[in-house]
Amino acid sequence: MDLGTFGAILRFAMDWEQRAAEFYEQAARTGNEVLFQEMAGGARKRIGRLEQARREGVAEMILESITGLDGDAYTVALDPTADGAALLRQAQSLEESAARFYRDAAARLPIREVMRLFQRLGQEHESAGQRFGEAASQPG
Amino acid sequence: MEYGTLKNYIGGEWVASSSNEILDVHNPATDEVIARVPLSTAEEVNRAVTAAREAFQEWRETPPLVRSRYFFRLKALLEEHFEDLARTVTKEHGKIIDEARGEVRRAIENVEVAAGIPSLMMGYNAEDIAAGIDEDCVLQPVGVFCCVAPFNFPAMVPFWFLPYAVACGNTYVVKPSERCPISQSRLFELLDEAEFPPGVVNLVNGAKGVVDALLTHPDVAGVSFVGSTPVGKYIYATAAAHGKRAQCQAGAKNGLVVMPDAPLGPTVAAILTSAFGTAGQRCLAGSLVLAVGDVYEPLKARLVEAAARIKVGNGLDESVQMGPVVSRKSLERILGYIDKGLQEGARLLLDGRTVRVEGHPNGYFIGPTIFDDVRPEMTIAREEIFGPVLGIIHVPDFDAALEVLENIPYGNAASLFTASGKWAREFKYRLRCGNIGINVGIAAPIATFPFAGMKQSFFGDLHGQGRDAIQFFTDRKVVITRWF
Repeated sequence: MDLGTFGAILRFAMDWEQRAAEFYEQAARTGNEVLFQEMAGGARKRIGRLEQARREGVAEMILESITGLDGDAYTVALDPTADGAALLRQAQSLEESAARFYRDAAARLPIREVMRLFQRLGQEHESAGQRFGEAASQPG
Repeated sequence: MEYGTLKNYIGGEWVASSSNEILDVHNPATDEVIARVPLSTAEEVNRAVTAAREAFQEWRETPPLVRSRYFFRLKALLEEHFEDLARTVTKEHGKIIDEARGEVRRAIENVEVAAGIPSLMMGYNAEDIAAGIDEDCVLQPVGVFCCVAPFNFPAMVPFWFLPYAVACGNTYVVKPSERCPISQSRLFELLDEAEFPPGVVNLVNGAKGVVDALLTHPDVAGVSFVGSTPVGKYIYATAAAHGKRAQCQAGAKNGLVVMPDAPLGPTVAAILTSAFGTAGQRCLAGSLVLAVGDVYEPLKARLVEAAARIKVGNGLDESVQMGPVVSRKSLERILGYIDKGLQEGARLLLDGRTVRVEGHPNGYFIGPTIFDDVRPEMTIAREEIFGPVLGIIHVPDFDAALEVLENIPYGNAASLFTASGKWAREFKYRLRCGNIGINVGIAAPIATFPFAGMKQSFFGDLHGQGRDAIQFFTDRKVVITRWF
């Protein structure tokens, strides 16, 4: 999926966070409830921040075309019915993929405020990925 | 029909027009009829102006600080309905949803600035202009103003004027474009919800008959217009003949000068946005590239290559980069200009006439079109096409580029792409043109600056937005005081 416009990138990011929130909410039912609920809450907050960016960051004078960003490159297969360790590995992979997406998109966005938001969101996902990595490496 | 038959908003009430003349409003991406708009009668205009006149005294006596609170409420409502407004703009105009969001954002910015009216409207004074005598200048509202709006920014353009006029204490009548009238109806629902007193803001749908009734009405103090040059001239002359103040922003033919030292990547991106954004239907759209010296060949190649990749389609699809033009009539007019360009000897490098959009067989689509070998005297180099058609002129040097621009009758916008501060200064200093972009393809002033324009692109002296708007919508009264 070619993400060639500002709106397409923001839509992709919001859909991505929505999907992540739903995954974490389902995963929370199978264990690690506190961590997964916290992550679901974070994803839902990010949807609000992205919506605000879509409204306030858009400036018609600089709606230039964006190239080289393919949504398919960030797809992660998810199975919320998997067991605890597999869920943590999926979540780690999901967060690492998100961090990569936000970093790649930030480098292409022509609007500075939105670029900075994407950089921050990339860092948040990177930290979340590390937390899942640590949780997955805990014995038991 | 999604939006039904539109009504007028007069004296705080939604009123059906009694007119038998009703036009269909089409979604340009599908050709589907999405609304019907009445061409209101002179009597209905009179009712709106009368309601505005009757509301004026009480409104002008309302303290500016209180008036500003209505705009804070309106701003909150606009944010709440932001996405719906943007989608409405796309459905009635065709522009892509990102551009529609940008348009709504710009409308909101004007509300935000107008909410600062307690400061914006302050006058000035001087003590002791003579012994024991002081002099004050106060700004006072004038009365009833109106706006005749264009189709290309159906949500934003009336908001270049209405918020300032009303915040200053005037009352207002909007005549939206009959081609794209839905956004204003939606915005007036929000003005109604913000509870502006009855008669302070009014909406009358229609066409030339409504315009003439407004321009000749004795209770209308002034008019703001955005549209074509012939209509702008007509409105300016008619308003003046009837003793009204007028600000008429008119047509354009905007040049984009590219110097050999310009970095090509960002320059090409900016040119594409300028020429093909909103399918070229912006008064700030760049429609002529003046390639200086050696930049000509590489620039041409990269422009064509990048423009050919622009995805054309229904503006509601987030992946689409260019929507349809506003009407079948516009499409035919643009196709006529392409024929004219070919007849006069220009060469098509990219032909947008062949574009087809899957699932939208009836949409008014035309793809990005680029002409080479354009000469300054050609019709396509002199007239406003108002479509996604870009002409390239090869010029030997900076002065030759400026000469081409100076000979164009319009002076709305022009941009220079360069890495040289010297050329940038020369460009902005010498060129007789209202809105100048330096490495910016769309030189769109934000709400705190006037939307400028010169030559045949503007008739009047005070522009929309910024300090000009406050001046336009007020009288200056000087009071000289001595106490015995």
